[in-house]
Amino acid sequence: MNRADRKLVSTLVLEPGTGKAIELLKGQILRVEQVEGGQCVDFNCFNLHDYKESMHTGRTRTLHGLYPTEGHFMWSAPPRERAMMYILEDTVRCNDVMFPRCSANLYESVYGLPVHTNCHDIQAEAQREYGLTPDDVHDSFNLFMQTGVRPDGSLFIERHHSVPGDHVDLLALMDVLAVPNVCGADIMRTSNFAIKPVRLSVFEATEADWAMVPALKTWATQRTPADFRNSRIKATRELRRDPGYSPEFTNVPIVYEGHAITLDDEEFALLTKHARRDLYGDDDALALRDIVFTWWEQTFLGRD
Amino acid sequence: MTQHTVTLPLNQQQRQLLEQTIAKGLAPDLQSLVRRALREYRAPTQPAEATKEAS
Repeated sequence: MNRADRKLVSTLVLEPGTGKAIELLKGQILRVEQVEGGQCVDFNCFNLHDYKESMHTGRTRTLHGLYPTEGHFMWSAPPRERAMMYILEDTVRCNDVMFPRCSANLYESVYGLPVHTNCHDIQAEAQREYGLTPDDVHDSFNLFMQTGVRPDGSLFIERHHSVPGDHVDLLALMDVLAVPNVCGADIMRTSNFAIKPVRLSVFEATEADWAMVPALKTWATQRTPADFRNSRIKATRELRRDPGYSPEFTNVPIVYEGHAITLDDEEFALLTKHARRDLYGDDDALALRDIVFTWWEQTFLGRD
Repeated sequence: MTQHTVTLPLNQQQRQLLEQTIAKGLAPDLQSLVRRALREYRAPTQPAEATKEAS
């Protein structure tokens, strides 16, 4: 890829303790770059034309694992579930989508510091430029953050090794409000016990950049407000019951019917051999159903 | 040869998935599909740790 062909649109240095909401149009690239090295950057994005669609670490984690990197997408939350950003380049490959953004309460409750830089408040302050409230901040995609999972399932944060010039290039696949912030955690390992500036640059993507993006299918289940039974954004804080509400859950009622399946001795022996007695006891029917759908996963999803 | 009859409980959504699978040509009917699944099913391999403990 010839990155020299990219046209630079803007650049700025994000100072420690700050964040910036940036209008990033489809086809523009946001480069988040280390200035001194070793700095974690929290990142969020919203559909610029409908802030209710926003990046979702859960969806992203499900599709790309705990450490998304170059070649992966950032996805919006259900029911939208669209690719919002594409990670074109990642020179460190050290990102996290497990940890939530740090918050004021974390520093007060754990460290006794009620007034301290924290990613939630920095995000909120940056997003305020576009009329969003602190409740609109959601879990961030943590760039340059080294994390892991211990054998007992607990999570940990470790120091990381990015150096000046290391960067992540994020291509906007739709018009977004991109909100990166310098992580406020200077008393944790996250950014090697410091807060340092990072450089943000916006480029126009080239044809070569677009050629890097895998083809995306579109699905009927990638819903928009036009598909919602209630598409009005609630503008009051109090919750009140709609007296006209009538539930319309999908495919309800769920009804089970028995289907007689005849097995020969060999097949029945296979059922007996593979039956999950730990789950289904002596119930051959439930054990057979488990086998059928596990086979389906193995055949069509490549699962073990 | 003995015939064994098992009454497989399926809800409408589960049946839909299997009917789609039949429509793809994997089997002519539900009976055949279930029998194919039984024959092709791969039992999970023993986790390494459990194997170690067992030996």
